[in-house]
Amino acid sequence: MIKTVDLKKTFVGRDQIVHAVDGVTAHIAPSEVVVIIGPSGSGKSTYLRCLNGLETLTSGQIVIDGVDLTAKKTDLSLVRREVGMVFQQFNLFPHKTVLQNIVLAQQVVRKRKDAEAEEKGRMLLQKVGISEKENEYPIRLSGGQQQRVAIARALAMDPKIMLFDEPTSALDPEMVGEVLEVMKQLAREGMTMVVVTHEMGFAREVADRVLFMDQGKLVEEGTPEHFFTAPQEERTKVFLRQVL
Amino acid sequence: MITNKTIWPWHLLTVTILFMLCAGLWVATKKIDYTWRWNRVPQYFLYNDETMVSIPFDGRVTSISDLGDSSQIKVISEQGEEKIYTVNSDAIQVNVDEDLFQGDYLGATFEWRAGPLLVGLWTTLWLSAVASVFGMIIGLVTGLCRVSNNPTLRGLSITYIELIRGTPLLVQIFIFYFFLGTVLDISRIVAGISALAIFAGAYVAEIIRAGIQSIPKGQMEAARSLGMTVPQAMVYIILPQAFKRTLPPLAGQFISLIKDSSLVSIIAITDLTKSGREVITSTFATFEIWFVVAFLYLMLTSVLSQFVAWVERRLAISD
Repeated sequence: MIKTVDLKKTFVGRDQIVHAVDGVTAHIAPSEVVVIIGPSGSGKSTYLRCLNGLETLTSGQIVIDGVDLTAKKTDLSLVRREVGMVFQQFNLFPHKTVLQNIVLAQQVVRKRKDAEAEEKGRMLLQKVGISEKENEYPIRLSGGQQQRVAIARALAMDPKIMLFDEPTSALDPEMVGEVLEVMKQLAREGMTMVVVTHEMGFAREVADRVLFMDQGKLVEEGTPEHFFTAPQEERTKVFLRQVL
Repeated sequence: MITNKTIWPWHLLTVTILFMLCAGLWVATKKIDYTWRWNRVPQYFLYNDETMVSIPFDGRVTSISDLGDSSQIKVISEQGEEKIYTVNSDAIQVNVDEDLFQGDYLGATFEWRAGPLLVGLWTTLWLSAVASVFGMIIGLVTGLCRVSNNPTLRGLSITYIELIRGTPLLVQIFIFYFFLGTVLDISRIVAGISALAIFAGAYVAEIIRAGIQSIPKGQMEAARSLGMTVPQAMVYIILPQAFKRTLPPLAGQFISLIKDSSLVSIIAITDLTKSGREVITSTFATFEIWFVVAFLYLMLTSVLSQFVAWVERRLAISD
C-alpha cells in the first residue's frame, strides 16, 4: 500500500543542514496499522508529512497505492484525496461549523451533492460520537471533540490510508482516551493506518508493527511483542527505559 | 479589590472640554470681521428651478383649464395648429383669448433640483465606490501575487507596491491625468478613478498579504491534505479567514480613499471639494461651506465605518 525507498528530507538552515529523514525504507501493507515512535526531533513527523506530499523530498521514492509521488506528472491533490491526515493541532476550519468542516471537502473535491455530503457527515459524526454538536463552531468544542471532528473530516473523503501525526499530544490527559477509542475502532475496521504517537499503550495494543526512528533513521522495527519485550538495538532499549 | 469606578464624571469632563473649545472658537471668530450667512447654504443643496414656457408660434390662447397645482393652456396658431402646455397655476402669465407672438411666455414650471453640493457629494460617493471596488480587486490580486511562490509575480507586485507607496497621491493623479491621460487618451474621470484605485490597491495588497500570512500554516495543510488544490484552499479556507481579520484595516483604507478622493478636484473633477470651492466663489461664505463640506465627508465615512462594524459583528459568531 505504501512503499518508501531510501527517503531523505534535508532542511537547510542558515548555517546548518538538518537531515530530518535520512534514508528510510519501509513497506506498509493494506489494513496494516503501523505505529512510529521515537524521541522528539527524530524525523517521524517529517516522514509522515512526506507520505502525503506536505513536505517535498530531497531524494528517494514514495509509492502509494501504485502511484509514484515523486514522478513529475503525479497530481498530488489526487493522491491526497486517498490519504487522510489528522494533525496534532486538529486544524479544523474555525469559520465553518462542525458539519460544514466535514461537508466542505466532499463538495469541493469529491463533487458530492449537498444532501449526500451532509448525510455522510452526520453518519461520521455519529460514528465519532458527537452528532449533537454539528452546528457548533470548533472553538466551542473541547480538544478531544475537535480531534474527533478532524478524524471524521478526514474519513469523509473515503481515504484508503489514514495518517495520524501525534493526534493526542495536544490534548488534556482525560481526553486522550476518547480519541484513541475512535482510532482503535478504525483499526478494527481494517483501515490502513500510520500513526506517530507517544502513546505506548496504543502501540502495544493496536499496532501490527512498530517502527522506531532516531535522528532521521529507522533504527528498529518489529511486532509490538518483539519491540516492547525484546528490543535488539541499544538506542531502542535506552528510549524504552525512559518512556515506560 | 473590587473595581467599582463611576465613569460619568469623566464623560462630563469630556463634554465640558469640548464645549469650552467650541466656545473659544466662537469668541475668536467674534473678534474678526466676518458675517456668518448660514441661510445661504441650503439653496446649494436643493433649489426650486423655474423654467419659462413660451409659445413657439404666433397664435391665440383658446382655453386654460385648472388642474389644481398645475394648469393646462391650450393655444392655437394662425394656421390652425393646436398645442397644449402645462404650467404652474401660480405662474400663468396669459389670459383666455389673448393674442400672442412667437416666444411670448405662457407661464413657468417649477422643479426641485439638486444643488452643486449634493451633486458633488454624489460624485464623490460614486467615484470612491468605483475606485474602492477596483482597488479591492487590484489589491486582492497583488496580495496573492505577493505571497506566491513565483519569483516574477512576487517581484512585479513588490515593485508596484513600493512605487505607489513611495510617491504622493497628488503627484500620481497629475501623472495619470497629464501623462497617461495624454498618451492613452483617457478622460479625467477615468484618470482620477484609476489613480485612486491603483493607489488604494497597493495598500490593500499589503493588508491582504498580512491577513493571509496571519492564518496558521496548518489551515493550508489541512485543506491540502483533504485533496484541495491551492486555489480551492485559498477561496474556501484561507481568504474567508483572512478577510475577517483584515476587515478593520481594510475599512480604514477605504475610509482613507473617500477622503483622498478630494484630491481629484485638482484635475477639475467636480467632486464635493470642487463643488465647495465653486459655491464659495459665488457666495463668499467660505467658513460655512468648508464646515459643511467637512461634515458631508464625515457623514460618508461614518456610514461606511458603521457598516463595517455591522459586518464585523456578523462575522464574530464563529469566535
